[in-house]
Amino acid sequence: MAITVKTMHRPEPGQTSYLRAAAKGMILTLRHMLSPRTVTQQYPEEQTELSPRWRGTHRMEVHADGRPKCVACGLCPTVCPANCIRLVGGEDDQGNRYPIVFEIDEFRCIFCGMCQEVCPVEAIHLGQHFENAEYTRERFVYDLDRLMEQDHPVTLLWDPSDPAGE
Amino acid sequence: MSDNTTTETVTLTVDGQDVTVPKGTTILQAIDQVGTEIPHYCYHAGLSAPAMCRLCLVEVEGAPKLLPSCVTQATDGQVVHTESENAVGMRRGVLEFYLVNHPLDCPVCDQSGECKLQDYVFTEGRERGRSREPKRIFGRDDFGGDVLFYGDRCVMCTRCVRFMEEIEQKPLLTIVDRGTRSIIDTFFERGLEEAEWGGNVVDICPVGALVSKDFLHKARAWDLKHTPSVCGSCSQGCNIDLHTRDNLVHRIKPRFNADVNGHWMCDYGRGNYEWLNRSDRVEEPTFVDDGRAVQLGWDATLEALEQRLAGVTGGVKAVVSASWSNEDLGAVAKFVESLGGGEIVFRSARAEDESPLKGFPSLARRRDLVPNIKGAELLGMTRVGGDEGRGGLEGVADHDGLIVVLGDDLADQDESFGSKASLFVYLGAHTSVGASAAHFTLPVSTFAEQKGTFTNHEGIVQEFLPALEAPGSARPASYVISSLVGAPA
Repeated sequence: MAITVKTMHRPEPGQTSYLRAAAKGMILTLRHMLSPRTVTQQYPEEQTELSPRWRGTHRMEVHADGRPKCVACGLCPTVCPANCIRLVGGEDDQGNRYPIVFEIDEFRCIFCGMCQEVCPVEAIHLGQHFENAEYTRERFVYDLDRLMEQDHPVTLLWDPSDPAGE
Repeated sequence: MSDNTTTETVTLTVDGQDVTVPKGTTILQAIDQVGTEIPHYCYHAGLSAPAMCRLCLVEVEGAPKLLPSCVTQATDGQVVHTESENAVGMRRGVLEFYLVNHPLDCPVCDQSGECKLQDYVFTEGRERGRSREPKRIFGRDDFGGDVLFYGDRCVMCTRCVRFMEEIEQKPLLTIVDRGTRSIIDTFFERGLEEAEWGGNVVDICPVGALVSKDFLHKARAWDLKHTPSVCGSCSQGCNIDLHTRDNLVHRIKPRFNADVNGHWMCDYGRGNYEWLNRSDRVEEPTFVDDGRAVQLGWDATLEALEQRLAGVTGGVKAVVSASWSNEDLGAVAKFVESLGGGEIVFRSARAEDESPLKGFPSLARRRDLVPNIKGAELLGMTRVGGDEGRGGLEGVADHDGLIVVLGDDLADQDESFGSKASLFVYLGAHTSVGASAAHFTLPVSTFAEQKGTFTNHEGIVQEFLPALEAPGSARPASYVISSLVGAPA
């Protein structure tokens, strides 16, 4: 391609003024100042309302006597596509099967909700929760005690009045 | 089954397919030959068939009612339907009756994943039960030995009772009570701790009624990798599957082999797997160079060993373990031969007597508690030491020439073993005080970590496959040695 010179025709200082544009901008600003519609949310003072189907960090349901509901059936580590659940089953002093070790690596977790869906005893749930900041990476591996301590609302994987999603 | 040309045969039709079987075959076995599986509980190929589970009922044209295929003999021209409306409907009905009392505790049941009731109900059972009555509750009972009994899960197939009566011939289990209250039980204070083959009732139990205490809650059936192997606990050489997960053996199950062990294996062999999971392993090849132990990897170590071997004098003495494969032992024999020949000895534990399985005469827990004693003897190695597998190494310990040790972990020896040797090569799996004087410590894999063969007491050579990954740089001993003698093992 041949090299050509393109001459830019910019307006001369006498031909233009910033005043018109500045006034336009100020009008817009003033209109927003007076408008009652606010978009900015004052997080964290104001909390967002999460969808009931929001899939966030897990929690383990507990029985009334404080035992975890989990029976260590092994279905959640089997179904987990991210392989983030570690489970070692055992027997407690009452002869019930229970998880000796139950750990979820929340970093590896992809929050698909399949562990909750597959759980036969409705023990492991995802939660309507997203504030998980920690100071160390290790703290993101939630052990059984930590999962039982969580108190945020659990996820509804489907709308109970419309389970097929229609 | 003998040769078909000399036996009388019958031809019948199963689901539209013609099948020819020897006379005397049951319909169930004929169905099996066609490739269809008919649900059954009380029938087990190794036991008698009482035809009491009512699951294998099939429709035979001309017969007024459905016939139990496990006891009905196949006859010429029979037309059998396994998938007819009648047969399927009957199975659905029978399965629904089983679920009247069987608890739906699959999440906590160890049989889950290998449970016949689960399989059958998923295949052709009803989606939902209609029973409104409470289920009977028996709770669980310790049957002694390694066996735990969950009465609620029992489907009363009586395989366990018949195994104890017919195969072990020590009737320790029986049915007590009648009707819907009937239940398997032991006799008062007696239990399966008296049995030496009691673990088999866990295998043949089609549901989770009889479970292993050792395996209780340890792993889920679907997580386990099954690797065909040969039992390393005696010279019988039972065919087994090693069930592994996370590079650990979790349990041992028998694998069918009509010539060696049938469907069975002994409790001793079943429980003797923890040594395969030992963590005190030799992991890296190490040799002593100028009084310093150095780890420079396989190439440098073997090069150094080759140099040391060239100058060695005083003859060769080798100690091997008969728990190592024919290939490994053969490599040692060849290695010793290439160095001018020498004495090769092995030590092995020997039980006081055999423990035979009465109902399967060719099977016993043999006296020799190592798998490859025949293989070692065929290679010209001699057994030394006592029946507990110790002693007998006095001639080797003070040998001043070359000492080669394979597999034997020298548990009864102290630091002075081999200290006078001009060269001491220890090819071992486990670290040992007896090997502290070794100039070369070379890590080798156990039989569960490599491919190879064992020769059983009758001379049958049986192959096993690697089930575990060897730790560190451990290699099969035959690889290590063959790179020294320059010939494939």
